[in-house]
Amino acid sequence: MIVLSGLNHKTAPLAVREKIFAGCQERSDLLPMLMAINGVEEVLYLSTCNRIEVIASVAEDGKALKDLSAFLARNGRLTEAESKGCFYEYRGEEAVRHIFRVASSLDSMVMGEAQILGQVKDAYREALEKYATGVTLNRLMHCSFRAAKRVRSETGIAVNPVSVSHAAVELAKKIFGTLDGKKILLIGAGEMAELTGQQLIEKGAQSIIIVNRSFAQAELLAERFHGEAAPLDALDKKLIEADIVISSTGSHDFIITADMIRKIHHQRKNRLLFLIDIAVPRDIEPAASELENVYLYNIDNLQDIVDENINVRKKEAIKAEKIVDEEVARFVNWQKELESVPTIVSLRNKAGEIVQAEMEKASGWMHDLKKEDRENIEILVNSIVNKVLHAPVTVLKEESADISSRDIVAAVRRLFRLD
Amino acid sequence: MNFNNIGMISLHIASVLSALSTLGYLASLLVKKVKLAKISTWILVTAFGFLTINLLFAFINSSVLINPGSRDFLALCAWSVCAVYLALQLKTKTRVLGAFISPFILLFIIAAAGETSDKSLLPQNLQSWLAGVHLFLTIFGEALFVIASCAGLMFIMQNRLLKSKKLSGMIRLLPSLNDLDRINHLCLLWGFPILSLGIIAGAIFAELNWKTGWLTDPKILWTVAGWIIYGFLLHQRLAIGWKGYRMALISGITFILLLLSYGSVRICFSTLHNFI
Repeated sequence: MIVLSGLNHKTAPLAVREKIFAGCQERSDLLPMLMAINGVEEVLYLSTCNRIEVIASVAEDGKALKDLSAFLARNGRLTEAESKGCFYEYRGEEAVRHIFRVASSLDSMVMGEAQILGQVKDAYREALEKYATGVTLNRLMHCSFRAAKRVRSETGIAVNPVSVSHAAVELAKKIFGTLDGKKILLIGAGEMAELTGQQLIEKGAQSIIIVNRSFAQAELLAERFHGEAAPLDALDKKLIEADIVISSTGSHDFIITADMIRKIHHQRKNRLLFLIDIAVPRDIEPAASELENVYLYNIDNLQDIVDENINVRKKEAIKAEKIVDEEVARFVNWQKELESVPTIVSLRNKAGEIVQAEMEKASGWMHDLKKEDRENIEILVNSIVNKVLHAPVTVLKEESADISSRDIVAAVRRLFRLD
Repeated sequence: MNFNNIGMISLHIASVLSALSTLGYLASLLVKKVKLAKISTWILVTAFGFLTINLLFAFINSSVLINPGSRDFLALCAWSVCAVYLALQLKTKTRVLGAFISPFILLFIIAAAGETSDKSLLPQNLQSWLAGVHLFLTIFGEALFVIASCAGLMFIMQNRLLKSKKLSGMIRLLPSLNDLDRINHLCLLWGFPILSLGIIAGAIFAELNWKTGWLTDPKILWTVAGWIIYGFLLHQRLAIGWKGYRMALISGITFILLLLSYGSVRICFSTLHNFI
């Protein structure tokens, strides 16, 4: 039985998550300790900035799951009041669905984000290295990766950007195609502006010019971006070079007016110009948007795009849930197959098929024998096969009541290539 | 089976394939899947192959250069547009353009398949290799202008979407402004000299054969008018540095005007180019 205990950004405040995170982080023997909990056979520990979860394959229903939650609470030194209501606990199919949804980023704070799958894979690798996983969890994790991959490729959940800086990058691509060789002009400073500049450079933009009221500040930033610093009065000249302008100053007046752009349009050889104004109050005169080959987006425009994309993701999530359902059903099916009876049947069938095939092959030379001899040979072959199969079949039957039979069943299925 | 049959069969196959690729391109616009457009491109490549076979056989069969039939003429139109589009697709990776261009290709092929092959395009006295060169170059040059203008029209659409600040639907499918502008640029750059050569070949031919009177032929006047406008656009682009919206707008308008005038000339006037 697969169980899962954990807490995430929806159920627990940051302070609680931090405490558990710190408590678990300092233990290097975390996985062995979890394995030592009575009834736990396989275990995996997943921790990201938004969630901490323990997934385990346990012997019997009931106590082990409570123990896992208690272990987490104890490790984080949580008080009774703190731990109350923080933990969610899932069993069986519910647990499977939850981990699939986590890996597919359906349970994330930003739905569709790409990092979570990597984090789940890291957690799995860690458990694998410490020999904490076995047949069941290995299969579970591989299925969760497949579910995540399908969700990513078959739905549009991760297609549209849902952050302002990503939306700006996407727009830049719609205007310029490739960003290779494009020049960015960053006016003023601010987290959002820097982030956007950073992402444009990662996507191939060639260089960055930083203009700031304080030249020292500009130089500081320029050093970080390996760009060029310029004083504010050189703005006109720098505008001629730039393809993408990101502005976020605290100024109360327009830093860039439509007139300014109109004047340099000819010097820019009418090149396309993408203006991103993320300042409040605005830095760029809205009338600039009317100019030919100039595309101006302010913070509200970008936010609108992001909001719309979030809605699109929500719609795509419905499709994604269906995919998760399919994969859960597939996994549960596999689990059922692991039980011994179907394995015994397929083992016998396989042996029967081999006997039949070999007898047919031999029918050429057996043709010369007497009918009686032929029948005797057949009886002999069947009895050898039955004797050989007797021991494995008996063990499978004997152990089927026990949960540990899964390993044996899995081993038999692999040894005889029954899957 | 003679050559004519093989040529005809490949033309029919090409028409079915290009119909499929047109449907594929349009469907890719509707359901917004790039994969469909990719498949359509490959279908179009195959159609292009069959068109080439068709033209090769027509060439062997009836020596197109000297005496092109009207079917060969239309097939050549289809082939040229197709060739230019596929070359651009290779260079700029803008598949959506196919949705705008493949219907033209399909129309040309259908028209070609509908014509009877033995109907000679040119009157007896016009049959010469110079007329063939004129025909080929003018068609190729015009095909490039068609695509330049299609790219222009798409630029206008994408420009409007970007200015309206809605990042959804069509905007994702249309190529970036820069790519469209580049297609417009490349097509003008190649189309203008090719059309010029075509016109010169035609002029020499006319001077040799007709001596006088051909200069005032309405169709020739329209072609020259188009040639002048595209030449002007190319000049503005190269010398003055026009880019983007203005180029797109003017080449789009020119295209529509020329199409209308061509239609009206065809209906209302009798010209030396009555066969086209």
